[in-house]
Amino acid sequence: MQLLLNEILSFFSFLLIGFSFSLIYHSTRFFHIAHAIIITSGAYFVFFFTNKFSIPFPVSVTLSILATAIIGVACEILVYRQMRKRNVPALAYLIASIGLYVVLQNCISLFFGDDTKIINTAEVTVGHQVFDAYITTIQIITIVVSIALFVAVNLFLHYTATGKSIRAVASNPELCNIYGISSNKIILIAFGIGSALAATAGILSAMDTNMTPTFGFNLLLYGVVAMIIGGVGSTRGLVAGALLIASAQHLAAYYIDTKWMDAVTYIILILFLIWKPLGFSGKRLKKVEV
Amino acid sequence: MEYILHLFILICFYTLLSQSLNLSAGFTGLISLAHAGFYGIGAYTTAILSTQFGFSFWLNIPLAMFISGAIAFIVSLIALRTVEDYFIICTLGIQVILFSIMNNWMDLTRGPLGIPGIPSISLLGFSLDSKISFLLLSLFFVAIIWFVLRNISKSGFGKTLTAISEDEIYSQSIGKNVYLSKTVSFTLSAMFAAIPGTLYAHYISYIDPTSFTVAESIFVLSIVIIGGLGNLTGSFLAAAFLVLLPEALRFVGMPDSIAANMRQIIYGLILVVVMMTGKNGVKELFTSKAKRIA
Repeated sequence: MQLLLNEILSFFSFLLIGFSFSLIYHSTRFFHIAHAIIITSGAYFVFFFTNKFSIPFPVSVTLSILATAIIGVACEILVYRQMRKRNVPALAYLIASIGLYVVLQNCISLFFGDDTKIINTAEVTVGHQVFDAYITTIQIITIVVSIALFVAVNLFLHYTATGKSIRAVASNPELCNIYGISSNKIILIAFGIGSALAATAGILSAMDTNMTPTFGFNLLLYGVVAMIIGGVGSTRGLVAGALLIASAQHLAAYYIDTKWMDAVTYIILILFLIWKPLGFSGKRLKKVEV
Repeated sequence: MEYILHLFILICFYTLLSQSLNLSAGFTGLISLAHAGFYGIGAYTTAILSTQFGFSFWLNIPLAMFISGAIAFIVSLIALRTVEDYFIICTLGIQVILFSIMNNWMDLTRGPLGIPGIPSISLLGFSLDSKISFLLLSLFFVAIIWFVLRNISKSGFGKTLTAISEDEIYSQSIGKNVYLSKTVSFTLSAMFAAIPGTLYAHYISYIDPTSFTVAESIFVLSIVIIGGLGNLTGSFLAAAFLVLLPEALRFVGMPDSIAANMRQIIYGLILVVVMMTGKNGVKELFTSKAKRIA
C-alpha cells in the first residue's frame, strides 16, 4: 500500500515535470536541458525568501514561481531567440542549453553552497493514515496541485486563443507566422508557463524530501524519459509514460534495491528506443529515424 | 614543481579524453555524453585486473581498451538507431547506467568505497613512481593517439566520417556504409577513452565512481566544443586552458571553493557563446570563417 502511494506521488511529480518540459519542447523542438535548473531554482528561491527575508510562506512561493518564470523567459530571450535569428543547426540549441545549465547550477552552488537544504515549513507532522499507509500533508498537496495544474493547463491549451496558438506554433511555426501569430511571442509564453510549472514541481518535491543544487537534473531526466516513452506530442502518452516510469522505479526499489532505480529508468528508455522508438502514441517524428 | 607536473599530467589525460571524443563527436557528428562512462570502464577494468589478478600495466591497456570497445559496440547498436538530440539523450542514459553500475555493483566495483591500492606502473624493471617519469609516459600516449587520430582524419575512412557529419543521406547515396562507419567511429572513440582511464587508475592508485559522472562527460564534451569539432590541436589547447583555469583564478586571489565553481561558470558561458554564434570552437569566434557543426 505504501508502495502504491509512493508510486502515485512520483507519478504526479514526473507528470508535472514532463508536461512542463513538453510544453517547451513542442513549441521549440529542442531539448531545453537548462529546464533542470528552473526546477531547482524554484525550490531555492522559496528557501531564500522564507529564510533570509522571513516572508510569509504562501507569498514567497508565489514570488519564487514568478522569479523562476522570469529566468526561463530570460533564457529564451537572451540565448535561444538570438540563436534562431542566426539560424544555427538544431544540435547547437541542446549544447547551448547544457552550457546554460552548467552556468546556472554553479551560480546556485556559489550562492547557497552544495550541501543539502531543507525548506522548513511550519511543523513536522506524522502524516495521515490512509488504510495502512502514511501520507503527509505535503504529499496530499502535491497530488492535488499536480492534478489541478495539469487539468488547468490542458484546458488552457485547448479552449483559449493563446493556448490554441501555442499548439499551432507547435505543429507549424512558419505557417503561424504567415497567419499573423508571432511564433516568438508564443514561444515566450510557452517558456513562461513551462517554467512556472517546473518551479511548482521543484518546490513540491523539495518540500517532500530535500534539495541540493543538482536535484533538478534527475527529476528533469525522468520527465524527459516519460515524454519520450509516451511519444512526443501526446498528452495521453505522457500520462502513460509517467505511470510506467513511476511503477517501474518503485517495483525495482521494492524487489531489487532502491539504488537501481535510475538504471531501471534508462533501461526502459533504451528498450523503448529499440522496439518502439515512436513511443506509445506511435506518432512519427522525423528525428527518430533517418 | 611536483604540483606543476601533476597539472601537466592532468592536461595529458584531458587531451587524450577530448581527442578520443573528437573522433566520434567532431569527425562523425556523434555528440556523446557517455564518454566519462567509457573512461570509467577503462579505469575500473585496470583497477580490478591489477588488484585482484596482479596484471601489469602493459596487459591492462589492451584489455581495458577491448572491454570498453566491446561495451561501446553493444551500446552503439542501440544508440545509433537514433540521431541528433535523441542520440545525445540516449548516450546520457547510457552514462547514467554505467555510473549506476560503478556505484552500485558492490561485489565487482565496491561501489562508493572505490578501489584502493592500484600498483604503479613498472617499465623494464623500473617503477614509474616519480611524477616526471609518469608525465613522459602520458606524453608518449598523447603523441601516439594524436598521430593515430590525425592519420584517421586524413584517411579515406576519415573523409567518410566527415561526409557523414555533413550529410548522412548523401553519403549513403554514394555507397558509403553509414551505419558501419558510425559504429566503428563510436567504438574506436570509446577504446581510446579507456587509455586515459588506465593511466588515471595507475596514477592516482585509488578510484571511485565520482570521477566518472555525467558532469565529467559534460566537461569533456565542452573541451571538444570549445576547441572546435574535428580540431585535434584545438582539443589540446582547450584541455590545457580548462585545466589551468582554476590555477589562474587562484593566482588572482580567488579562494579555492569559488574557483572550482567559477571554472564551470566560465566554460559554461564559453559553451553558450560559441553555440549562440554558430561557430565551430573559440578559434572561429575571432575569424570570419563560419563552418557550421552537424
